[in-house]
Amino acid sequence: MNKEQIRQVVMKNIRDVLFDLDLQEIPIDASLKDLGANSMDRADIVAHCLEDLQLEMPLVELRTAGNIDGLVNLLYQKIQCRASRPGTAAKG
Amino acid sequence: MHDIVITGMGVVTAAGTGCKDFAAALRSGRSGIGQVPPDCRLGIDVGALLTDIHLEDDLRCIEDLPADLFTRARRAAHRAPFSAQVSVIGAAQAWCGAGLHRSRVDPSRVGLTVAGQNLNQRLGYDLQQRYGERLAYLPPSYGRHFLDTDQVGILSEILEIRGEGLTVGGASASGNVGLIQGSRLIGSGAAEVCVVVGAMMDLSPLELHALDAMGALCSKASRPAGEVCRPFDRDRGGFVYGQGSGCLVLESRSSAEERGVEPLAALVGCALNLDGNRSTDPNPTGQATAMRQALRNARLSVADLDYINTHGTGSVLGDESELQAIKAVLDSQVARTWLNSTKSLVGHCLTAAGAIEAIATILQMRGKFLHPNLNLDHPIDAGCRFVGAGGASPVTVKTALSNSFGFGGICSSIAFRSEGG
Repeated sequence: MNKEQIRQVVMKNIRDVLFDLDLQEIPIDASLKDLGANSMDRADIVAHCLEDLQLEMPLVELRTAGNIDGLVNLLYQKIQCRASRPGTAAKG
Repeated sequence: MHDIVITGMGVVTAAGTGCKDFAAALRSGRSGIGQVPPDCRLGIDVGALLTDIHLEDDLRCIEDLPADLFTRARRAAHRAPFSAQVSVIGAAQAWCGAGLHRSRVDPSRVGLTVAGQNLNQRLGYDLQQRYGERLAYLPPSYGRHFLDTDQVGILSEILEIRGEGLTVGGASASGNVGLIQGSRLIGSGAAEVCVVVGAMMDLSPLELHALDAMGALCSKASRPAGEVCRPFDRDRGGFVYGQGSGCLVLESRSSAEERGVEPLAALVGCALNLDGNRSTDPNPTGQATAMRQALRNARLSVADLDYINTHGTGSVLGDESELQAIKAVLDSQVARTWLNSTKSLVGHCLTAAGAIEAIATILQMRGKFLHPNLNLDHPIDAGCRFVGAGGASPVTVKTALSNSFGFGGICSSIAFRSEGG
């Protein structure tokens, strides 16, 4: 999975959870907080992304993401790590 | 009993949504009970399910709904559990119906009572199915949504309520318990207005199976689905699961007068008592006590009582017990006081039943009619004055009792009086 695909997953889940905002163009350097997501919204967005990507990781690791771009990068790194480990397949 | 009136009502049932639609359903005997499609995956063949509810569309049907209220409702409830969405629709109807979207009432003098418990069993079941083996993906918002009080938060945000708010539970008597709680809040002076929501019990296949297995619920259609629910009939076989919500705005008469709002009815008496019994079996003595106490509270004699909206679930034991209690209370007046069961039209809406049936009672009083008892071909007691298959109209009903009885020996009865001409 490449970074652009991961970005699409993140954007889809942002639009689902922040359904009442006009999010035609979401700046990649915006933070979820800037977009009006409260802590519950942010937690749900992340959980949905992890499910879509079949990634399991402690949510606390994602707190360093900072903004959407940071979140995409973190998820991408995790997927790369998983892919490079011999014999590992997506969990769940 | 303090002078407490009802100034707004909102209702969502399988027979009709909104007071106008619901009243038309009651008047014509239009039932919401039907065959349950297998893709509902509830394990029941017959029920009165809400299959055509869409939050935003149903909100837009509310006359005069302010744009900002719609926005708050959409934001707060779009991703909320189904039971909460249904509560929001009914509460928004009642709020606007009471004119509270236009009145300047001090929000700290408005209370909120959400009547019901175990409101989101279906949600927990579905999430268990999907995430039970993969908890890492469970949406964290479930940590909020599994609580019944989530609805208190949601409704108070939408309606901007700042007075006392809580949930109350009384099993199938929850709706009445909520009304009693609301009336006490106003009676004590702690609030001028109280929004009482009888919330929908969104059951999972587990609860429905257990209720069926214990002989309470009739889930299989051994006859056409519309004929399965038969309160007080010789061939009744249990209650039919109904989904729905009812909301009533209770208000002190002085507040209604100050706002220039005409009351829809008055809540003039109530009673709530226990049988001291943990089983699910009904007790006619406890039920009679509730009715007598509600009448006493309302300063009404049996000779003054025009109509009883029965609990009338279609349960084999329950209907017999309730009639025994009614006959004991009415005594020589038994041939005079009308009886019907709204559950024959909307199913047993469990935690919401008391609220929905209070609304049915008031709509009938105001419309000068009584709805039919569906499927009452062979009443188990010929001495009682059951409303027939065609309904009764015109009929003047000035006073009424509405009964609700819950598992665990919870007995309740509320007395209403009509307002206006």
